[in-house]
Amino acid sequence: MQSNRLGWILLAPTLTILFFFGVLPFIYVVYVSFHSWNPFAANPEMIFNGADNFRRIVFDEEFLNSVGVTVMFVFFAVLSELILGYILAQAFMKDFPGKSFFRTIHTLPLIMAPIIVGSVWKLMTTPSIGIIPHYLDEWFGISMNIGTSAFAAFTTIVIMDIWHWTPLVTLTLIAALVSLPPDPFEQAQIDGANKRQIFWHITLPMIAPAVVATVFIRLMDALRTVDEVWMLTGGGPGSSTRFVGVHIFKEVFPKTNYGYGSTISVIVLYLTIVACWLLYVTMLAPRNSKEG
Amino acid sequence: MRFALTIGASALAFTIAATSAFAGSNDDWWKKAAEPYQGVTLRGVTESSPPSLYIREVLAPQFEELTGIRVDVETTSWDQMFDKAIKDMEAGTGIYDMVYIEQDIIYSYLARDFLTNLTGLIADNPDLKAPTYSEDNFTTFADYFKDGDGNLYGVPMEAFIKVYLYRTDLFNDPEIQAAFKEKTGKDLKPATTHADYAEIAQFFTDYGKENDMKLWGTTAQAHTGHVASWYEYFESVAPTFGVYNWGIDADNNYAASVANGGSMNSEEAKEAMNWWLSMRDIAPPESNASTWTEVGTTFGAGRAAQGLVYGENAGWIAADKTKSLVVGKVGVALPPLADGVLAEAESGEGYIGYYDGGAFGLPSTSKQKEAAALFLQYIGQDEVQPDWAVAAPRVTNKSTYDDPKVQAMNEELGGYYDMLKDKGYLFAGAPAYPFHAQVREATAPTFYKILTGDLSVSDGLDQMATIAEEELTNLGYRK
Repeated sequence: MQSNRLGWILLAPTLTILFFFGVLPFIYVVYVSFHSWNPFAANPEMIFNGADNFRRIVFDEEFLNSVGVTVMFVFFAVLSELILGYILAQAFMKDFPGKSFFRTIHTLPLIMAPIIVGSVWKLMTTPSIGIIPHYLDEWFGISMNIGTSAFAAFTTIVIMDIWHWTPLVTLTLIAALVSLPPDPFEQAQIDGANKRQIFWHITLPMIAPAVVATVFIRLMDALRTVDEVWMLTGGGPGSSTRFVGVHIFKEVFPKTNYGYGSTISVIVLYLTIVACWLLYVTMLAPRNSKEG
Repeated sequence: MRFALTIGASALAFTIAATSAFAGSNDDWWKKAAEPYQGVTLRGVTESSPPSLYIREVLAPQFEELTGIRVDVETTSWDQMFDKAIKDMEAGTGIYDMVYIEQDIIYSYLARDFLTNLTGLIADNPDLKAPTYSEDNFTTFADYFKDGDGNLYGVPMEAFIKVYLYRTDLFNDPEIQAAFKEKTGKDLKPATTHADYAEIAQFFTDYGKENDMKLWGTTAQAHTGHVASWYEYFESVAPTFGVYNWGIDADNNYAASVANGGSMNSEEAKEAMNWWLSMRDIAPPESNASTWTEVGTTFGAGRAAQGLVYGENAGWIAADKTKSLVVGKVGVALPPLADGVLAEAESGEGYIGYYDGGAFGLPSTSKQKEAAALFLQYIGQDEVQPDWAVAAPRVTNKSTYDDPKVQAMNEELGGYYDMLKDKGYLFAGAPAYPFHAQVREATAPTFYKILTGDLSVSDGLDQMATIAEEELTNLGYRK
């Protein structure tokens, strides 16, 4: 009983902060989502409009487009980061000359603020001036213009995200790989298992919790990507990189459409939870039930 | 930035010395007026622009030294500046005692009673009235910051026009002149019509290609995901075709579509858009990703022979050797116009381009209104203006034009200040809409689709007019 009380006392500051800075704002956002509220409307007051905002969202082409673009971005970016991160983690498990230096360099993007990453990539990709379009043109005759090509803009953002966040995946997977016991691997080798069989039947199941946790983190991060995209394309060309985070930003800040913007936020939160739950069910639940 | 800081730093030394002369007689007044506010710290938020940096680096420290009132000016990005200011005033937190009011948002702020009536505040507190401050000193640009009764809500701090900038070295080159004459049968001179402008633009783009130069015939602020392109079209291009106030008729139930009495999708608007897109297509490749900043950079890098450029950038393009490759090679002219537009502008029925700028206002939520009023008067005095105008090309007070330093700067800027003074009345700021950002953001996605070619000009503008009317109905302005 005493240790229970001590636990609550120790947790109290965190819970208090979470309540005021997490739970209360969330409740407020849900409350606002049932209202029409734009402080620059003829009537700037908050007006209760029931589920109108939620009804409207279903037919909102811009929003639906932004969800589609975001899902594509998340799929390509997170999957690539996972594969690349694993390959790099395996590479870092081995010794090679300059390993420490390379590992340090490889981790550097992680310490950069997203807004800086966006600025740097903007400088590198500005049509005809940036280093990337310049050399693509000079060496391969490829004309790259993120101001006109939706494909170029989208691909650049995916590559930028991979560059920025793959080190995080690498580090978590290194931690997972280092902690694996050697016995199952030795046993598998004695039994004649090849590398592919060892990966699918031993390594992957054993690091699955770490993989899922990493994917959760990246998935949630990727779904709310704003800064880099804002700096690089502003959501363009057209709406081709208007990710859902950018869409919410434009709805809430410049347009000051607080009511409808809150509704979009609530829906996006719901979609994020569903996506995470699906991921959990497909990747971990079968394993847990097998163990159970 | 470096331009502003370099000049700002030199201006600081010069200004301190110069102002000490005029200030000498008024020092006692400032010190006495500030006595009740000792220990007070004023906080302001503004866009990180040369005029704002001058306030932060030069005027605020001067004021603090004179009065003992500390002034912290936060300079940040355009988006962040609005975000911070609006949130502060909306929530009533009173963090900021001064906020930057861009000309186009003043009507939204006034509609929400966000700002303090400076005229009234100073009239009600005669002890606060600085002997060197008068609203009569401001140019007519200050009228944008007044309500219907003539009360001022912001002290003008920057004012520019978006000018037609052209390269004098290219336009005056005998060989180029001969080549142009041979190709077009015309003399090469700044265009006065859209057709002439297009002809010159095409000529220089071809000339750049033929001579393996990184030179194009025009700039284009045509970002496909940033509102800068929306602004270039509605505030700088459409008016030159006779489409004013974004094509929305405020006196006709805020109609935007031709069917309802607006002109957002009128034939003139479509002609303007087609012309502008044809210019973008022969502009430097970076134009599709260019905001106002990049347009300035493009021109400063010598990549364009002519273009519509914001006055705030014209200064460093024309005078800052550390940033610009075309120093001393720049001329200014009025934008090319369709028939009848100049006459409409001269009669006050229309305008030929954008008069941009902003003021420092005092939020209603400020907890230090009186001290803030002192600072606002300080930056509004005639005496501090000339050095400010030299450091960051902007003029807000009438007497500034006559200062020798400013006249010298005018020469360097190719007559920009003369144009601001003599032709400024032909330009206009954003229309007096309290729903500025709302309609802009509602129509922008469709506008970008026109730029990317996903929608034709005609269909796109038709859709934009419909969307604008829907948004205005949702906001309660259109009945």
